[in-house]
Amino acid sequence: MHNMGYFEQTMDPGIGTDEIAPIALLMDELRSEDVQLRLNAIHRVSTIALALGPDRAREELIPFLQDSVDDEDEVLLALADELGKNFEEYVGGPEHAHVLLGPLENLSSVEETLVRDKAAESIAQVSIVLSQPQIEQYYIPLLERLSRGEWFTSRTSSAALYAPVYAKVSPTIQENLRKSFMALASDDTPMVRRAAAKWLGALIKDLSKQHVLSDGLTIYRRLQSDDQDSVRMLTVEDLVTIVQQLTSSEVHELLLKQIRQTTSDKSWRVRYMAATHFNELAEAVGVELVREELVGHFVQLLKDNEAEVRTAAAGQIPGFSKLLEKDVIVARIVPFVRDLCQDSSQHVRAALANQITGLAPLLGKEATIEHLLQLFLHLLKDEFPEVRLNIISKLEQVNEVIGIQLLAESLLPAIVELAEDKSWRVRQAIIEYIPLLATQLGRPFFDEQLANLCMSWLGDTVYSIREAAIINLKKLTEVFGVEWARTAIVPKVVNMGAHPNYLYRMTTVQAIGTIAPVLDLDIVRSEIMEALLHLATDSIPNIRFNVAKSMEVLSTSYGGTPDGKEFIQQKVVPVLEELKIDQDADVRYFATHALQRARTTLDG
Amino acid sequence: MPSDLDAQIEQLARCEYISEEQVKRLCLKAREILIEESNVQVVDAPVTICGDIHGQFYDMMELFKVGGTCPETNYIFMGDFVDRGFYSVETFLLLLALKVRYPDRITLIRGNHESRQITQVYGFYDECQRKYGSSNVWRWCCEVFDYLALGAIVDGRVFCVHGGLSPALEYIDTIRAIDRKQEVPHDGAMCDLLWSDPDDIMGWGLSPRGAGYLFGGDITKRFVHDNAIELIARAHQLAMEGYKLMFDQTIVTVWSAPNYCYRCGNVASILELDEHLGQEYKVFQHAPPDVRSVPLRRPPADYFL
Repeated sequence: MHNMGYFEQTMDPGIGTDEIAPIALLMDELRSEDVQLRLNAIHRVSTIALALGPDRAREELIPFLQDSVDDEDEVLLALADELGKNFEEYVGGPEHAHVLLGPLENLSSVEETLVRDKAAESIAQVSIVLSQPQIEQYYIPLLERLSRGEWFTSRTSSAALYAPVYAKVSPTIQENLRKSFMALASDDTPMVRRAAAKWLGALIKDLSKQHVLSDGLTIYRRLQSDDQDSVRMLTVEDLVTIVQQLTSSEVHELLLKQIRQTTSDKSWRVRYMAATHFNELAEAVGVELVREELVGHFVQLLKDNEAEVRTAAAGQIPGFSKLLEKDVIVARIVPFVRDLCQDSSQHVRAALANQITGLAPLLGKEATIEHLLQLFLHLLKDEFPEVRLNIISKLEQVNEVIGIQLLAESLLPAIVELAEDKSWRVRQAIIEYIPLLATQLGRPFFDEQLANLCMSWLGDTVYSIREAAIINLKKLTEVFGVEWARTAIVPKVVNMGAHPNYLYRMTTVQAIGTIAPVLDLDIVRSEIMEALLHLATDSIPNIRFNVAKSMEVLSTSYGGTPDGKEFIQQKVVPVLEELKIDQDADVRYFATHALQRARTTLDG
Repeated sequence: MPSDLDAQIEQLARCEYISEEQVKRLCLKAREILIEESNVQVVDAPVTICGDIHGQFYDMMELFKVGGTCPETNYIFMGDFVDRGFYSVETFLLLLALKVRYPDRITLIRGNHESRQITQVYGFYDECQRKYGSSNVWRWCCEVFDYLALGAIVDGRVFCVHGGLSPALEYIDTIRAIDRKQEVPHDGAMCDLLWSDPDDIMGWGLSPRGAGYLFGGDITKRFVHDNAIELIARAHQLAMEGYKLMFDQTIVTVWSAPNYCYRCGNVASILELDEHLGQEYKVFQHAPPDVRSVPLRRPPADYFL
């Protein structure tokens, strides 16, 4: 199965056992039946090389690795990877780095794509440390062999290897490189043309302006009009790169047709790619062409027949609109945004909900109110939770533009409705938004509109919502102050501690543990402690050990003052002493832990 | 020990598996605890009952978000922790670590997938090999499987079992006589508890699974009456709505793997029993895609080609 014979034939005579130890180890492991062991061996190959020293690594290890290419793909992949990780250090430094090209050349011709890609990546990596003579003597011939290989696999790999060295070779060789890249772009096998399309952009970045205009454009046009859509879709990124190298007028003169063809390609996959990269293209062509040409294309993509294309285009809306004037956005983009709010695909609506708030800062207060507010409301009521969630989590952007007061007034009914949404993640998003609303709306408005809602979440059926509701109460206390909490929160929380269902009593205990640090000693002593003492004798052990945890919080929060110390000594410690000898092991554990902390604060 | 274990629980809760040495010690400790448990473990309400998880780690974290964390909430997991999903190792080890840390707060019952034979076919064995490079972890976990309880009884009124009933077992007490510390046998009472399914038939029927039996409403009601219980809670079968009550609510299937195998499109549920044995089913969905419920999603380009 593996070609492991090399060392056995060449190593035997004249070498002491000490010297062959590292190689013997590698051989043994590479001969193992277990793929994992062979993989481990490959990952240690740099250590082996180090042990051998640079000369023997070059003369024995590298040829061995070059001949062992018939292992499993996983092992080959690891080898390709290892050789790209500064392996030249182990073979005598940059002046010998070219010896690594041998095994990598083999690896870049195998059948498995992952191995070839990794090998090409490593060859590019090696090329960084090669001098011009090394490149011309070793790398270029390798590139030629791969580019003219009989099998498409090597020709495919070769496409990635032009850009890394183009800038480092003489003009004559550069000319040859351009020619043979052109040949790849006209190859009979689509896989090769696909690779050419994929790597053209990288090469173009190194071409002189003159050669971009001559050879670069020719190669691009060839690929862009390919009969395979899988090739054409890869040229979208090439187009962006080329446009970045050219002036607006050159684009106008030379590429308008291609831009038009790409954005209206008969294959939706090409249009999808165009939509995905639309903003990069728009930023590169310049303001004038955006207005004259691209707005039209963008609108076409927004109303494309395929939902995938509309989804991708919807994601580009605010980014593209940044390049437009306000009245153009209102006139050309907003009408289609309105249509997308009603789109039949929920994925399109979800993508839109994620992006639409980005238009608010661009439109300013009045236009947002006039054109967008209704759309926000519409999306907030969408039947798919993801759409609702996306718009809620981005509403903060809108605050900044139109002010929370107006936002709250127009959206509050929808928010109240979502507070009882079927999806608990939507409810959670609303809860997390509440402290901000409270800050901006002020106490009277909050007490009237939202206070009950906040308390009702404490009885939610989902644990995470009850948890979020508790944290929300803490944040509200920080906003409205301790006295507000004394009357608005504490009595309700304490009352729940007498509920016949243990989940409510548990919420009381956990709420006390969370909120206590932001209250004051007086409230804790007079309003809370009695309920907590009562819950310390609850029949459910889970309640009792959470009482212990809450007691621990009280000790650490209030143990700093003489009053607090006295309170802890008199009220907290005796309860914990009781719980420490509880019949339940977890109650005993948490009580003991809390007691230690309480004692530490009392001593401190 | 608690602090070491707490650190391991935190690590596992991030879906990062612990070292081989740590697994070995955890499994030894777990066996010491499980060996003390009865074949039908006695559990106090309140407790939350969960069905199959099948290595869907991120969906199990969703379960904890809905039901509450352990130890705050007491849990019974009715087996099939491993196989099929991508994270059987992390899923089972997290449950096991919680069991060792809070033995009175969580009860683990054996499912038909907690077996050497089944795990070699349905993924757990391969996953252990891939993640640890040897079969040691799989072997230790299988040894723990042999010690897992076969059932649980909540306040003497709700009987929990992975599969269902057996013609060899009229009374819950007779289950206590089984020597459970062995690989799941191919037939007999222990096998039936892990493999049987309720079905709309009268009496007993042959199971299409090739192990265990089908049992009808009459059998179920007689068992419930003779054992003076009010409900049999079991797992083992996919329920598209998360749970399925049958035979005048004497038996329920609880299924806790949402979007089973990452493609069935079902919701999942857990059954919360409060301190008065009041039943509440909490239905939940699979974890949102941003928390990486499926590893190595193919990049868009591959999807096109």
